[in-house]
Amino acid sequence: MFDTNSHAVASDALPFLKAAGIRKAFGGAQALKGVSLELCPGEVHGLVGANGAGKSTLIRILAGLVQADSGDISLDGKPVTIDSPHQASALGMSFIHQDLALVPTMTVLENIMLGTPKRTWLGLVDWPAIARDVTPIAERVGLHAALDTKVRHLSTAESWLVSICRALVHKARLIVMDEPTASLSVGESERLFAIIKHLSASGVAVLYVSHRLDEILRLCRRVSVFRDGASIACLEGHELSRQALVEAIVGHRETVSAPIARRKVTGAPLLSVAGLARHPKVNGVSFTLHEGEVLGIGGLVGSGRSELARLIYGADRIDAGSMALAGKPFAPRHSAQAWRAGIGLVPEERRSEGLLLTRSIAFNLSLANLASLTFSPALPFISAGKRNALARDMVRRLAIKTAGINAPVGRLSGGNQQKVVIGRWLKREPRILILDEPTRGVDIGARAEIHRLIRGLVANGMAVLVISSEPDELPDLADRVIVMADGRIVSTLEGENITRAAIVAASYSVGGDA
Amino acid sequence: MTDMVLANRRMSPASKRALGIFARYSTIIGLLAMIIAFSILSPKAFPTLGNFTNVINQASLAMIIAGGLTMAVIVGELDLSIGFAASLHGILVTGLIVRNEMPIPVAIVIILLAGALIGLANGLIVTKIRVNSVIATLGVGTILTGLAFAYSGGAPIVAGVPEAFLQLSLGRWLFGVPNNIVIMALVLGGLWILVEKSAIGQEIQAVGGNASAARLTGINVDRIKILGFVISGICAALTGILLASRLGSGTTSAADSYLLTAFAAVFLGSATLRDGEFHIIGTFVGALIIAFGFNGLNIFGAPTYSQYVFQGAILIVAVGLSSLGRQLAEN
Repeated sequence: MFDTNSHAVASDALPFLKAAGIRKAFGGAQALKGVSLELCPGEVHGLVGANGAGKSTLIRILAGLVQADSGDISLDGKPVTIDSPHQASALGMSFIHQDLALVPTMTVLENIMLGTPKRTWLGLVDWPAIARDVTPIAERVGLHAALDTKVRHLSTAESWLVSICRALVHKARLIVMDEPTASLSVGESERLFAIIKHLSASGVAVLYVSHRLDEILRLCRRVSVFRDGASIACLEGHELSRQALVEAIVGHRETVSAPIARRKVTGAPLLSVAGLARHPKVNGVSFTLHEGEVLGIGGLVGSGRSELARLIYGADRIDAGSMALAGKPFAPRHSAQAWRAGIGLVPEERRSEGLLLTRSIAFNLSLANLASLTFSPALPFISAGKRNALARDMVRRLAIKTAGINAPVGRLSGGNQQKVVIGRWLKREPRILILDEPTRGVDIGARAEIHRLIRGLVANGMAVLVISSEPDELPDLADRVIVMADGRIVSTLEGENITRAAIVAASYSVGGDA
Repeated sequence: MTDMVLANRRMSPASKRALGIFARYSTIIGLLAMIIAFSILSPKAFPTLGNFTNVINQASLAMIIAGGLTMAVIVGELDLSIGFAASLHGILVTGLIVRNEMPIPVAIVIILLAGALIGLANGLIVTKIRVNSVIATLGVGTILTGLAFAYSGGAPIVAGVPEAFLQLSLGRWLFGVPNNIVIMALVLGGLWILVEKSAIGQEIQAVGGNASAARLTGINVDRIKILGFVISGICAALTGILLASRLGSGTTSAADSYLLTAFAAVFLGSATLRDGEFHIIGTFVGALIIAFGFNGLNIFGAPTYSQYVFQGAILIVAVGLSSLGRQLAEN
């Protein structure tokens, strides 16, 4: 019903936003080589492309965060220049960024009204009037959190809803969503899709930027494809298919990863976890991780997976339960103890927890390996030669795409940033590597590479624990999968039983019982 | 402190909540405990309306300058120039009145504008040239000290200060309430409304809470930061004027020590009622704690050096409590 509706709106309408011939260079690198984009009112328009194809740069230009070197943007047929985020907002464009742009110390309502609060004649904020305006919109998008809750207490999904509310309150005609489902669970994603269709039906255009082609195919009538800073195609109607999109994204090379040859776990038990708990997120978890095994942890966002990882890594205190590492009792009091015992953690929030973005690749890679990079134990100064050798080795082994080992990590694409975080641990040759959402926000090609990398690590006897919310990731990658819900293991899957359907079903099993 | 943090990680949610409440109310509990203790120890001198009025009167100047500093820290910057600026303004205002024979109101307006200008300079240096605010305001403050010496020649301007100017600070024009207290109440009340109730206050809080988020929503972050510095500058000027009026002279370095007092008040304030967030009411409570502390030390005849010990210790306690509050908020 929504579909017919939105299509009717879109096909009748003329484009209201046109961007043509947009070019932008950063330093020497030409990020955009003349891309174009057209959006009709009420259209859900997909934007896809590998990491580094220029999607983010175009979005930043539309948002007024950076200015294009050349090219034309017109709105309702009139040329516009967007030189500030304020102006982008005034033109009716709203942006929901991957790193959510909310103020954690302020309330839901304050965040929704950020930048343009309704004022009384005294210049004071008219909160009662605002609450009257916002409440129906919050209900419409299904935001059930109290409006006076501070945003730092909300889940990622709820934060998304706050951002969407903000766009609607500001009467946005276009909402740009950058990887919206990357941090949402399956159920939350479904709710988002319903909201998107609803937005579309009411005439709001959505530019949907995602690596998840299933979602793109399901939501979008037209899809623009960027590659290497250029517009490759704008597919619609019968030309729109998964195969066509993949070809346009990668350039006629077939890189869809083949399912792995899943092996029966034969290695010796390496880490045994018994009744591990830290209330309220982790409530008694027991499992065994073997040498040479990729153990996947599935489940919904908030089911306690990341918290479990932090317990194993010694980042948080254990309330109850015990662990044994290679048969010996293991109770890390802090992270340093865990990594000395040979456990590495690649966190979910790689930008905030994993990397120093302004520092070079070589610097970031050397951080976890300082002891091995000194001239000698007696001369504890970092040897630039050793450091650079390590960096060059990792850049080659992990196929990190970069101008050089001295480039700031912040300039790399998401996939390559992730490889740097993983690379940091490899030199230490950990026995266990914990990866929290290793391919979040990463394109298909980089994802396949990271998967290959993980398989290569376990082939050498390492054990890897992969936490993932990507429905297709664990079937592609893991030898065994445990599914968590409400801080407990609700299902253990092996061999042929590791399927998307089984993981999703188990993820929701607790909710069904309750 | 480390033990406390470790203890915190091991704690149950209930005791964590208890610690949170303790952190939020510890400053107020401390203030009340101090008042009660002093009242018991010195029942004749301490718990009198006269003494309380006197304490708040004395503290008003620190409260005004700390209120201004609160604005700078809410937008995420530090302003170390305020004490030096207040000293310079005290000299300038006496100079304008005594040497240039300017009408008092005109002199005051000029000095307040000068304060705004210094704040503007701080703000521009920090936002446009992107100098770290600690360095920028320390540099500006040092320059201002130099200017104060240049203008006064190092000697206080004492002779010929008109009685009317002294009455600005010493008078009790409104129902016998000391003018300092009235002015302080107006300034802090105005700032409280600005931050907590006004539309621009939302932008101020957003810039302090997450500057990049504020920028993405179209808030002009630089302008808000500059505003914070300008208000801080104006409050420093007002403090300088009132201090000159109270002392009856313009003296170099007279207001320098307000810098530490203001910082202690602001950080104590951030640990008050909220988890490590800066706010005006908190600053008011923080300044009260310091004022009563000093008053108690005076009443009991504690040696002068103890005041430095007290001030240094309270600054560290203040920042510690503020940081503890933030840690609890993050968990």
